[in-house]
Amino acid sequence: MPIAIVKKRDRQVIREIKRHKSVYLLLIVPLVYYVIFKYVPIFNGQIAFKDYMALDGVLGSKWIGLTHFKTFISSYYFGELLRNTLMYSVGKLLFSLPLAIILAITIYECNRPHLRKIVQTLSYLPHFLSWVIMYGILLALLAPGDGVLNDIIKLFGGKPIDFLTNTNAFPWIVIFSDAWKEMGWSAIIFIAALMGIDPSLFEAALVEGANSWQRVRYITLPSIRPVILIVVLLRLGTILDAGFNQIFMLYSTPVLSVADIIDTWVYRQGLLEFQFGLATAVGLFKGVIGMFLILGSNKLVKRFGGNSLF
Amino acid sequence: MKKHFSVLIALVALLAFVAAPVFAQGATEATKAAGPTTIELWYGAAITEAGPPPSDWVGFQIIKDKLNIDLKLTALPSNESDQDVKIQAAAAANNLPDLFMVRRDVLTRLVPQGLIAPVDGLYEKMPVRTATHYDAVSKNHAKFNGKTYGLADPGSIIKNEGLLIRKDWLENLGLSVPTTTDELLNVMRAFTENDPDGNGKNDTWGYGSFQEINNYEAWPGRRLEPIFGAFGVEGTWNMTAANAGLSILKPEFYNAMVYLKKMVDEGVMDPNWLAYKKDDFRAAWKQGRFGIMREQNAAFAAQSNYAPFDKNFPEGEWMIIDPPKGPTGKASVGPYTANFRLYAISAKAAKEGKSEKIAELLEWMASDEGYYLLGWGVEGVNYTKDANGIPVAKNLPNADLAFSAPGGQTVTQLRNMVFYNGDIELYARYPKYITETSKKEMSALVVLRDMQTRTWTPAIGSDTLPIPNADLKRFYEQGLSEFITGKRTLTSENWTKWLDEFKKLGGQDWNDKGVAFAKENNLLN
Amino acid sequence: MKKSLFKNKSGYRKVGTASVSIKPTAADHSFNVLVDVFLAVLLVIIAIPLWSTITLSFRPNDYIGNNLQGMFLAPWNWSTSAYKALLGNQGFILSFKNSFLILIGGVASALFLTIPLAYVLSIPSLPGRKYLNMLIIIPYVFNVGMIPSYLLVTNLGLIDKLAAVFLPGAISTYNCLIMRSFFEGIPNELKESARIDGATEIQVLMRVILPLSKAIIMTIGLFYGVSFWNDFFHAMLYLNSNSLQPLPILLRNILMASGMNEYVEVNAFGDAPIAAIKAASVFMSAIPMVIAYPFIQKYFTKGTLLGSVKG
Repeated sequence: MPIAIVKKRDRQVIREIKRHKSVYLLLIVPLVYYVIFKYVPIFNGQIAFKDYMALDGVLGSKWIGLTHFKTFISSYYFGELLRNTLMYSVGKLLFSLPLAIILAITIYECNRPHLRKIVQTLSYLPHFLSWVIMYGILLALLAPGDGVLNDIIKLFGGKPIDFLTNTNAFPWIVIFSDAWKEMGWSAIIFIAALMGIDPSLFEAALVEGANSWQRVRYITLPSIRPVILIVVLLRLGTILDAGFNQIFMLYSTPVLSVADIIDTWVYRQGLLEFQFGLATAVGLFKGVIGMFLILGSNKLVKRFGGNSLF
Repeated sequence: MKKHFSVLIALVALLAFVAAPVFAQGATEATKAAGPTTIELWYGAAITEAGPPPSDWVGFQIIKDKLNIDLKLTALPSNESDQDVKIQAAAAANNLPDLFMVRRDVLTRLVPQGLIAPVDGLYEKMPVRTATHYDAVSKNHAKFNGKTYGLADPGSIIKNEGLLIRKDWLENLGLSVPTTTDELLNVMRAFTENDPDGNGKNDTWGYGSFQEINNYEAWPGRRLEPIFGAFGVEGTWNMTAANAGLSILKPEFYNAMVYLKKMVDEGVMDPNWLAYKKDDFRAAWKQGRFGIMREQNAAFAAQSNYAPFDKNFPEGEWMIIDPPKGPTGKASVGPYTANFRLYAISAKAAKEGKSEKIAELLEWMASDEGYYLLGWGVEGVNYTKDANGIPVAKNLPNADLAFSAPGGQTVTQLRNMVFYNGDIELYARYPKYITETSKKEMSALVVLRDMQTRTWTPAIGSDTLPIPNADLKRFYEQGLSEFITGKRTLTSENWTKWLDEFKKLGGQDWNDKGVAFAKENNLLN
Repeated sequence: MKKSLFKNKSGYRKVGTASVSIKPTAADHSFNVLVDVFLAVLLVIIAIPLWSTITLSFRPNDYIGNNLQGMFLAPWNWSTSAYKALLGNQGFILSFKNSFLILIGGVASALFLTIPLAYVLSIPSLPGRKYLNMLIIIPYVFNVGMIPSYLLVTNLGLIDKLAAVFLPGAISTYNCLIMRSFFEGIPNELKESARIDGATEIQVLMRVILPLSKAIIMTIGLFYGVSFWNDFFHAMLYLNSNSLQPLPILLRNILMASGMNEYVEVNAFGDAPIAAIKAASVFMSAIPMVIAYPFIQKYFTKGTLLGSVKG
């Protein structure tokens, strides 16, 4: 490439940077924070490749390369863990997220102020319940002996179902209870997005004779598309985080085959057994997969003309 | 511009104002060598729901004056997994506290890291404490490679649980006390189907339990040991010299599983048993859901625990019975081993020369002054001594501050560092009382003595045997539970196949290692 | 929320300031019915377990009935012993204070750090923007876990200080990118007109962006607030002194207590059943957030974003 053109491009870039000088000023403090609190731990994360001994520290521990990764991938339950993790992650994404969006839109579109206010207030309350108490609630509802749901089933002459300890029912319980708990809270961000839609758009649509369905389809949904995309992309990046707190509280021995996810395995195998290198290695493994997914879906989003992550 | 500037200043000021307390150190401060020695103690609270000792607790001052020690207390989380995580995280950063309570499994992992100090030399520095707290079994409990790495303080009293049955239900149905597994099954059926409490509702079951697992009582755990004891396969390990090894590899285990499965299939066991946690189980028997259970003496008979049951069922009465005899005549309430609470000293503290001071502190706790102060509180405020010298909660100016009342809980949080199941303690902890509604005389001590007379299986040291890898443990527990819930069909053939896989995965190895360890350490009976 | 853009009493709609008579069509009717039905069903589904928990927290110690009947327990039979026991707990006030400090310190530092970062990332013409975004996303995806963070916090000397609870989480990538998305939605003309008037970026941020972003800042502030208020794990991990324990630790000790207590002969809570105490403790911890949310909702008025740019 001709030198003259290259130099001109460099000069342009430098000019741009100078023009944005005060922007970079704004950036300094958050960036320093980021380096300290996000990247130094990544540096410490090299223990994933080491046999970590507390007295030797991060730098002094012995290098063992990919041993931890091999241990994880070749472990007895690896395939099952991966399957369960994805099952819950994708399941929640496909179920809870659309529900949250629908909830946000219906709250926005509801014409009865009382119904709307009550639902909006109540819907986010479950988010504040910890999974410890959720377990109690679910037990009261679903216990095979005297759960409310089973009482109703018995009333109709059916046989009580052991929802929490049955491998067929358990995954549904996880997904539904997560939706119940988080739907209202997740809807908040979409409601905030809906609040930002220019009302004149709706007026224009009305004048043109659009009915409510068309209004939602052609105006409401597309207007909040950027937020939806961001949320989906971010969740894809952490696809292998299937909700440790929930599973940890809800699972028990009889349903291990469908309940054990990567994080609960790491908790038992890595944390409780002082295998911190292994635990960190699994974290990196999840990160690699997440990175691929984000990069891939980011490209897809760009191709379809949406606001991408980067 | 000015307005935004002032907003900015206000924000920074707010940050600074908040920054001061949030960056401030915790309540007590570390002092340098010339002053008192600072000892950081992570303790397991006696009653976790109650708060920690207040900052003006008289104990702090006494310890500072008498021993020249500045004691910094940290209450460990109430949940065992949380405790493990907190301790291990501190260990990973080489930041362990000076003296801390720790579970043996965790200690096993910390010792090879070189983070724990050996304590062999400290016993002679604590003569009073060693005489009451540390016997030979205790000194071996935390021995690794010939050195002792933890002070094993006495935990709960041995053989403090028993098989209990609803006497009034037996009488209502005209049944006699079951003595064999067959009779037990019939009684369980009767309790489930024949409305033993006469309330016209089909809401009772025979047996009640929940999954309570530890490293010497594997799945399904402690509550079902009387059942497994009838087949001679109680506990994770068989500790007899003739037949040492994992119970699961013995042929009788299959028979025990068949019996248990029958209980579950016929519906004579409270179906919530797989979903219960300890709280739920205890709430359930107080609500009269089932009629047979294995329960701990104080959890059953202590005043505050029995009261709800008494109020709900004044006519109700439980009796302690012998464990049922199986087809070969065997019976056992379950395995017992000496229960310990381990306290470890970090290598860091030992290097700083704090071991001696720690020994002084522990010895003081075993002295009369420390014993009563940490165990019951201040005389005249939290307790008074009766004619026999037993601390009681009577004649106090403020009854709320009694050691057994909620108000007195905070000052006795450290009592499990001083108690050693001596007689004074037992009489004080388990006094006789009259129940409120049914006016019965109850005593958890009487219950305890009764429970200790029943047939138990000695398994001392079985909790020090090698523990399996996490995946093997999961395979073990998951497989057993799947056989019981029916996910795997329980036939001889399936069982053998599953056992083969278990052995291949490392089960045989685990068995052999365990037997070798037991032989080496003379643990077999 | 939605103002009188649609339906008034006579079935006609007001559009803007004009009164255009547009009759609601059948499709509109079905839409509204569906919306109402959906919300009503949701109301029932959400309310029932919540109600079950509320009645559980008021359950007296001698209540025998099962859980279904418990939900219909008459209010005059309720017992407040669980709440009394909790409020009488000596550590309660102290832990409330600690939680409050964490909340204020946390939200203040979080907003102070997140807003500029989100704003900078939202400037379309910024050179190196792509790389900056990648820089932000990488740690989010590569979550190295507990121990590397713990090592950092130890080395920074933050162990046993309240700041350790909120500083590591003061910038949440998720919240930052959501905020960025909102900032991107602010029309460029507004920023350009301010810049042309000679404002520096900080001034643009404060004079133009912030006033228009009240809703999102409140929302993100709420997200941070809730996560700091409820955070149990970091508090358990990093705080040692008993005088620094925040509310979630106290509550978790109550909720998970039975797992450890061997001295079961005394009940720290006297009269109330343990299940009621657990339920009551959860509600008590949720109260501040529940009180705060309606105030934040006020900022969610329609179209706050627009209005300064027409056409």
